[in-house]
Amino acid sequence: MTMQDSMLPSGPNASRNTTHFFLSNEFGLILLIIIFAIIFGVTANGFLSEFNLFTLGRNSAVNIMIGLSMMTVIVTGGLNLAVGAMGVSVAMTCGWLIEGVGLPWPIAILGALAFGAALGFINGGMVVRTGLHSFIITLATMSIFFGSMIFLTRAESFRELPSVFSTFGRMKFGGYLSPLLLVTMIVALALAWLYRRTLTGREMLAAGASPAAAELSGIRVDRIIILCHMLSGVLAGIAALMLVARNGAAIPSMAGQLGQDWLLPAFLGPVLGGTLLQGGKVSVLGTVLGAFLVTMLSSGLMMLQVGAFWVQTFLGLMLLVAVLLDKARRSYLARRNLA
Amino acid sequence: MIQLSRLSRTDWFGPLLATILAIITIRAFSENFLSLFNIQILLLAIAVNALVAYSQMIIIAIGQMNLSVGAIGGLAAISFVGMIEVWGLPTPIAVILALTIGVGCGVINGVLIRITGISAFVITLATLSIYKGINMGITEAQPFYGVPDSVKAFGVALVLGPIPWLLVPTALVAVGLWFMLSRMPVGRFILAVGSNEHAAGLSGISVNATVIIAHALSGLLAGIAGVLVVARLQIGQPSIGDDWLILSFAAPVIGGAILAGGHVSVSATFLGVVIVAIITQALVLFNIDPFLVQVVLGGLILAAVGLNKLRARRPIGRGE
Repeated sequence: MTMQDSMLPSGPNASRNTTHFFLSNEFGLILLIIIFAIIFGVTANGFLSEFNLFTLGRNSAVNIMIGLSMMTVIVTGGLNLAVGAMGVSVAMTCGWLIEGVGLPWPIAILGALAFGAALGFINGGMVVRTGLHSFIITLATMSIFFGSMIFLTRAESFRELPSVFSTFGRMKFGGYLSPLLLVTMIVALALAWLYRRTLTGREMLAAGASPAAAELSGIRVDRIIILCHMLSGVLAGIAALMLVARNGAAIPSMAGQLGQDWLLPAFLGPVLGGTLLQGGKVSVLGTVLGAFLVTMLSSGLMMLQVGAFWVQTFLGLMLLVAVLLDKARRSYLARRNLA
Repeated sequence: MIQLSRLSRTDWFGPLLATILAIITIRAFSENFLSLFNIQILLLAIAVNALVAYSQMIIIAIGQMNLSVGAIGGLAAISFVGMIEVWGLPTPIAVILALTIGVGCGVINGVLIRITGISAFVITLATLSIYKGINMGITEAQPFYGVPDSVKAFGVALVLGPIPWLLVPTALVAVGLWFMLSRMPVGRFILAVGSNEHAAGLSGISVNATVIIAHALSGLLAGIAGVLVVARLQIGQPSIGDDWLILSFAAPVIGGAILAGGHVSVSATFLGVVIVAIITQALVLFNIDPFLVQVVLGGLILAAVGLNKLRARRPIGRGE
């Protein structure tokens, strides 16, 4: 069967490209989003209300950012289990810089994000230095970062933040568009530009696809990996600061014990979006769509009163179905000689 | 000297030295450290944590990882108490069913990994969420209180001196695992698949069966750990297993397990658990912030993987 298929003359380029698009992850995700939007719009009362669209946008802004943060490390073929711990650490640093040190908020935010980059530098540096897989390094630093943060803050929140944060979190454009979503979109566009148009971005992809080949062609793979981890730290920090804007306070438990609550959304976005876990291939649009789909599904399931406690099961099943579909899609492509 | 260098090559020597050093140092600063009561508390912690560590160790042996250890343990724990409280099942049957659930969860992991060929990380992340979700869906985050008296009594009973009964299942499991990994074909298959899956397959080992058996064992051990925690806490908490992830990796890695697979040590992993328990205990004895336990655990993992790396490098240079 494979023989036959591979001997088929390849079709004209145009039809090949359209088939390609219809077989792409992004198209599948858009289709799923539309289908579920219709289902929820019809069955769940108030799903399309302005208020729900606003909260949906606000929640997906955070989830997309968490997914992007993981994506920047997955590009190199690594993982970053510490996204949650880093994010919360950044948020708490920001709170401390404002309340403890008394810095004005714009400088505090920049300082906190620089701290996120520094945490990423620690991760990346250790991965490069020891040559160990980033799984075990970030598992350890997840524990270290979160433990230090809890120890230093005595597990207490920063609640006296300037009103800028909560105002920004509550702001609405046109009744339902949250500015948080705009921030996420800008970051996503910048990342897409990074991977498509800049030398550094291409080097990141090359380092992920084949570190040895990249090294031989003159790319400083070590530096690139450290840079990816720093980028991940900054993005995790932005996600956490957006949560601060939403809650109006910097709370140590906002990502759960050790920041574990962020792990599932962090992997769902990139994996659904077709970013290869082996590294070297990235889809910013896919990650955005994947994370949005997940947020929409959880919101819709809540509104259908499936029970908040079952949502986690559904998300796990989704991840499973997504990787299975992706597998089937790729073997189909391979059989048709399209990929 | 030759004796010493040979000893230093074994997995258990380093951790044993560290354990003895830690005990001596802490004893020097704290009178209470070796009191009977304290030893009993230490052993209780070790009893559960060792099972958690073994549950992960058996998966590390085949070169994979199991993020869902805690979720399986939690699901087994709440279904154990739930079946007694809601269905009124007798305790032994509930224990067997709970362990069956643990095995079932493990088999699902193994089968999915082998059928799809997707990395164990992604599969167990998905099943972690599924099992934990089922746990939350059943309990709605409320604990089951109907733990029977026999189980409660088992949780506090002592065999001899400070040794709790809870340690007995753990000891049996440790001996059984050691016997399996070093003496039984299935244990050798597990290690062979871990060190080189392809070669193992070519030499006639059924990789599918081996991987699924390893995951089933992992689920069983996580299930036993969950049931023991219920006996210790005397309550069916839905949050059982939430904090097992870091610990489950720390102990095997301290015990010299190589994450790429094919090399684990039952005794050294046990010592890894002991070290973690002693240090946690010391932080409490010296009134150091309990929050720092996380930092210490993370630091221990880093130190241990660093040391393992050095140890792995040395023999090549010597060319003995």
